[in-house]
Amino acid sequence: MRRSAGVLVIAVATAMLAVAACGGDDGGDADGPTIRIRGQDFSESVTIAEVYGQFLRGRGYDVELLTPAGFRTEAIDGLRNDEIDLIIDYIGGELTALAPDAAIDAADPDAIIATISPIHEAAGATVLDYSPAVDGDAFVVRGDSEARAISDVAGLGYVFGAAAACFERPQCFLGYTNPDIYGIEFADTVTIEFGPLLGEALAAGVVDAVVWNTTAPQIGVEGFRVLDDDRGLHPAQNIAPIISTAVLEAWGSGLRDALNELSASITTDDLVAWNIETDIELRESDDVAREWLETKGLLSQ
Amino acid sequence: MIAPLQAQNPIIRWSWFIDEWDQVQAALVQHLELTLLALGLGLLLSAALATVALRYERGAPPITAGAAAFYTIPSVALFGLLVPYTGLSRATAVLPLAGYTLLILITAIIDGFRSVPAEVREAASGMGMSPRRRVLTVELPLALPYIITGIRIATVSTVGLVTVAAIIGQGGLGRLILDGLRRAFWTPMTIGASLSILLALMLDLAIYRLGAAATPWTRRRGA
Amino acid sequence: MIPLPFAQAAVPRGIGLAEWLVDVDTWLGRDGILSSGLDTVTLCAAVMGTGMLIAVPSAALLAHSRRGELTATALVTLGRAVPTFAVAALLVPVALRRGWGFEPWPIFIALLLLALPPLYLNTYTAIRHVEGGVVDAARAMGIGERTLLLRVELALALSVIFTGIRVAAVQVVATEPIRAFLGGDGLGRYVRDGLGQNNDTLIIGGALLIAALAATTSVAVSVVERLVVPHGVRRLKQRTAARRGSVG
Repeated sequence: MRRSAGVLVIAVATAMLAVAACGGDDGGDADGPTIRIRGQDFSESVTIAEVYGQFLRGRGYDVELLTPAGFRTEAIDGLRNDEIDLIIDYIGGELTALAPDAAIDAADPDAIIATISPIHEAAGATVLDYSPAVDGDAFVVRGDSEARAISDVAGLGYVFGAAAACFERPQCFLGYTNPDIYGIEFADTVTIEFGPLLGEALAAGVVDAVVWNTTAPQIGVEGFRVLDDDRGLHPAQNIAPIISTAVLEAWGSGLRDALNELSASITTDDLVAWNIETDIELRESDDVAREWLETKGLLSQ
Repeated sequence: MIAPLQAQNPIIRWSWFIDEWDQVQAALVQHLELTLLALGLGLLLSAALATVALRYERGAPPITAGAAAFYTIPSVALFGLLVPYTGLSRATAVLPLAGYTLLILITAIIDGFRSVPAEVREAASGMGMSPRRRVLTVELPLALPYIITGIRIATVSTVGLVTVAAIIGQGGLGRLILDGLRRAFWTPMTIGASLSILLALMLDLAIYRLGAAATPWTRRRGA
Repeated sequence: MIPLPFAQAAVPRGIGLAEWLVDVDTWLGRDGILSSGLDTVTLCAAVMGTGMLIAVPSAALLAHSRRGELTATALVTLGRAVPTFAVAALLVPVALRRGWGFEPWPIFIALLLLALPPLYLNTYTAIRHVEGGVVDAARAMGIGERTLLLRVELALALSVIFTGIRVAAVQVVATEPIRAFLGGDGLGRYVRDGLGQNNDTLIIGGALLIAALAATTSVAVSVVERLVVPHGVRRLKQRTAARRGSVG
């Protein structure tokens, strides 16, 4: 008894030492601050964070990829609280978070950038060039629905499902129900965590329509339909890196050019392909990101 | 219904477990780390609060009531509330987790010391022991079985609660569960949940053994 | 603003806690605190009722016949270690695919697993540790096994069993809010919406309501205990509870 207790003490102590030893970073030939990147808590954002992180590492930058966590609020707060240095976000989402009442044409990415850039700048962050890759808001119904556009839903008495955030947004639930925009009267509403549960609920018939994202791979797999946003409610949702201005300046224009080069080479089809790999083929984001960078020749510098 | 998914989405896919062992190991280490930090902090706080409660008769009810009230705050809400102040940091995870151990640990410490018979205490004082020496060499050993039972319960429930800390980016086995949830991928969920149970049982056993070794005189009475 | 009676009320972000709590609309209506609270209470009551029906008789019988001591403690430790949220989350897709919808089965089963260990452990240890002399005396008086269990052992154990009920009930009430994150509502809805909409008032208000309900539950169980447990038995409680490793 006494001996086995001793063994356990040693085991626990060893484990704690191992824990302590894991703290070091991998150094590298860096001559600037470490760039801390954190993806938001859904597959596409995790893969995007891996793509940017591995790409920068390949170019010799000192990068730390943090455990994915939270969503947009935590990402923006993290940037402002100096927890992280680089986020890659969807510009339409940024607009609704930072300037929900801005009277601009939200379908125009340049108009969005012109609105959010000064806000980020004032808080010490710089919005870099947006990518052609878009992951837009999607009003999704089952394949057997008679609706083709969102306005067709008005008389159908659908049960509507979406994440909690949607219900307070003018570009989301408030826009669908607003008589001046879509004026839909839903038969009921269900709050569902953002992610695959939306598709599960739609497939099971618990709801008839959900707000998802256009690159959700289950939409194709399940034969769901994305309805046409015929009254132009949804904002443009290109992805764009937003980086701490101090870190950007410390590294000089090389970092800006590198990030802009990468953003320009990502397409919407790439996003869909990544999501199919992570969420349907169930592969890991870091492998998916590395393979994509290798195929594009973006790792071999 | 999601046939193409299910075909390759068994409850556990062992090749994933092997390929992603790095990730699993890191999660296990983070989980252990968070558990030990929370327990350590919880034990320190409980010892201090229990000391106050034991010394001042009237201090006990408010202290245990406070700890009981804390226990009823849902963990998700507490993590969410702390995020604006402490960010997605380790402190945001450890402080509530330590707080949740207080009720169990304070009760155990108080019960333990109150179980020491008055005659024993008087005898020790009668032998000329200083109060400090009496507490450390006579009362503490006698209270130890209660305290160890308390630590065991606190440990097991903390290991379970640490899975929730994944929502604030602190890793651990909850990270695997969330990852699986996010992708409707069963393997990480199953592995995360099973390892969490296994870790709880092993820590429970370890503390039980340590406790038994520390209090050899209780062995005949059983646990 | 929205011409629908059921529309999810988007609570303004700047609203103060007191202001939110005194607003009549916060309490009434489909999404109001009263209806959400009733949802929570109903589910928790169903869980506790089922839990007691399963745990108390089985633990009492096993303890009476002095069987299954190791199994009991092992099962209880195992039960405590099961992460409730993971269980509920694993069950949701299963329930949806079987056409059972989001509610109530996944959350019901997960909460039941949470409630069983303290109910079972406290019943088992309390009956197992009824003084041997008392049991022998009862047997010597010619009391049948059934009466012995019901009239002597169970009566003496009642106080410790109630502690188990209180612990289980408080845990169930404080954990039930995870239901809101799995397609349901209940009191957890305010915390969920607050987190999703970045509204601290809702998070704090929701957490306060849940904590208040849990505290009320604890008091309610104690009141029932006072009414049910014979006075003479009550005094035995403290000696039996903590020493035997039951939850207290």
